[in-house]
Amino acid sequence: MSWLLFGTFVVLMCAAVPLAVALGLSGVAVILAAKMGIMSVPNTVYGGIAKYPLIAIPVFILAGMIFERSGVAARLVRLAEALVGKRAGGLAVAAVLVCMVLGGISGSGPADAAAVGAILIPAMARVGYPKEFSASLIAAGGSTAIVIPPSIALIIYSVLVPQASVPALFAAGLIPGLLCGLTLMAAALVFSKINGWGANDPEPAPPLWQSFKEAGWGLLAPVIILGGMRSGAFTPTEAAVVAVAYGLIVGLVIYRSMNWKQVWDLLGEAAEISAVILFMVGLAALFGWAVDTIGVFNQFAKWLTATGTSETLVLLAITFMLLVAGTALDATATYFVFLPFLLPVAQVYQWDPVWLGIVMTINVAIGQFTPPTAVNLMVTCRLAGIPIEATLKWCAWLVAAMTATLLVLTFVPGIVLFLPRWLGYL
Amino acid sequence: MSWQDGGQPVTLPPRARFRAERFLGAAAMAAIVLITLGNVLARYFTDISFAFTEEVSVFLLVFLTFIGSAKAFLDGNQMAVTYFVDKLAWPWRRRWLLFGLGMSALMLALLAWYGGRMAWDDYDLEVTSPGLGWPQWIYTVWLPLLSLLVLARIAQGIAHLIRAGGASAPRVPPVPPGGRPDERSR
Repeated sequence: MSWLLFGTFVVLMCAAVPLAVALGLSGVAVILAAKMGIMSVPNTVYGGIAKYPLIAIPVFILAGMIFERSGVAARLVRLAEALVGKRAGGLAVAAVLVCMVLGGISGSGPADAAAVGAILIPAMARVGYPKEFSASLIAAGGSTAIVIPPSIALIIYSVLVPQASVPALFAAGLIPGLLCGLTLMAAALVFSKINGWGANDPEPAPPLWQSFKEAGWGLLAPVIILGGMRSGAFTPTEAAVVAVAYGLIVGLVIYRSMNWKQVWDLLGEAAEISAVILFMVGLAALFGWAVDTIGVFNQFAKWLTATGTSETLVLLAITFMLLVAGTALDATATYFVFLPFLLPVAQVYQWDPVWLGIVMTINVAIGQFTPPTAVNLMVTCRLAGIPIEATLKWCAWLVAAMTATLLVLTFVPGIVLFLPRWLGYL
Repeated sequence: MSWQDGGQPVTLPPRARFRAERFLGAAAMAAIVLITLGNVLARYFTDISFAFTEEVSVFLLVFLTFIGSAKAFLDGNQMAVTYFVDKLAWPWRRRWLLFGLGMSALMLALLAWYGGRMAWDDYDLEVTSPGLGWPQWIYTVWLPLLSLLVLARIAQGIAHLIRAGGASAPRVPPVPPGGRPDERSR
């Protein structure tokens, strides 16, 4: 039965059937074969989408788009430039910094990479960075958006693993997300120093205080989102809607960079993007339902312990498997396909579900910029006008650097769990 | 996905504008934001609770999901692993494209048919909603109705692809700089 489920999924997936439909139909195949009652199909799909925590997803997507359109990204770039100054590697560090701050507003990697890439790929090219490098770096920096809260991926993880609450996951994602960003900065700095990129920039750095005043409104957004949730004032959904209201005030009143017509268009665009995610979540619920009723996966965990495989080896095997899967699948599909195996294993080794969520998400994040199928790279390479293969040289280093950080977080769960424990979520 | 032709995906009929879907999607989105914002404000400034509106919000979520998905099937914005199929020559890629649309149509047909039975059961047994005590079928009836809408859109795409024939390979058109919806949703 499990072969029917995963076999159908893999075949349909490789045949380029939409992932949502591949997950849904393989679930239906098992429901039919096990004679579990076909009426569970519409019930599961409706119930899979009609969940209160999921409301946060479209609202966070809208918030991210409002800040993106209101011109926050360009102002953050100026501030980051003012902070790091004009030196070799300055713009590269600034690029990752801006990716991280925008990641604290939006929860989508490619959207983050697109917003930063549109401004910085041309700017970095002017001062001597090769486009292959800047496209790789910004793709990698953008991937931190799904680890740094708010994160759409972590909201979906929480729906699947209710023991891991959204506030706990968001708190747990902060330090690992920042560490991933710092790793990328360090790697970028090394390459820039060696090659002298960005050393001869004729223009002076923008004035610090002026840029800070302009970017301050954008910088406040992550503070409101995370602070509001931390203080217990808002649920994640409410924090998202407050971010939308704040973004509208910034865009319509303070920066005056948006009008109501554009807001209406943004609503439509956000609805389309949310629909793609939620459709997948709804149909994947069929897959999840089939998994629950088969229940063969505990045997996998039992077999694993019976063979006496060491925990280190298991962790390394899981990391490798997820890194490969992450290049092709998005976070939702990764969770639905792999959690049935990983949750029983986690129980055996007494892994914390919050830590597991963060580690899985960083794996997916690395997949977002691992060539040749990486989604963030597709976005930045399109902006740079270069083929994805050309980035391989730089991406390989960045993937290696972030994987090293991932392994540290995998083997030292304390780093991930420190903040949620300290804040009292665990 | 890269099966597009002259700036227009080959499964997207040129006259399909999706104006109604786009309008209703934006309206549902606006309603979700306003209801949630209303809840926050009401909770802080009055002691009235609108918690019962939760069932309307989650219904709007289902509505938004299906109304927004219709277009994504035709313009290639549903997430899919096209790595292998993209390596094939156009005539074969076209066949797999038809296969994917056919499978999608099957899924939506299942949802429309059995969703219809689910809504009928809710009507027949006079099930009421937990929060507002409204008849449950006024929510659940939208699952089969909207599934039929998506199914009709997929059928439109299949018909267009068949009519277009398999002779000439499509060119890859420019993509908006902000990325396509299937990318931005990851």
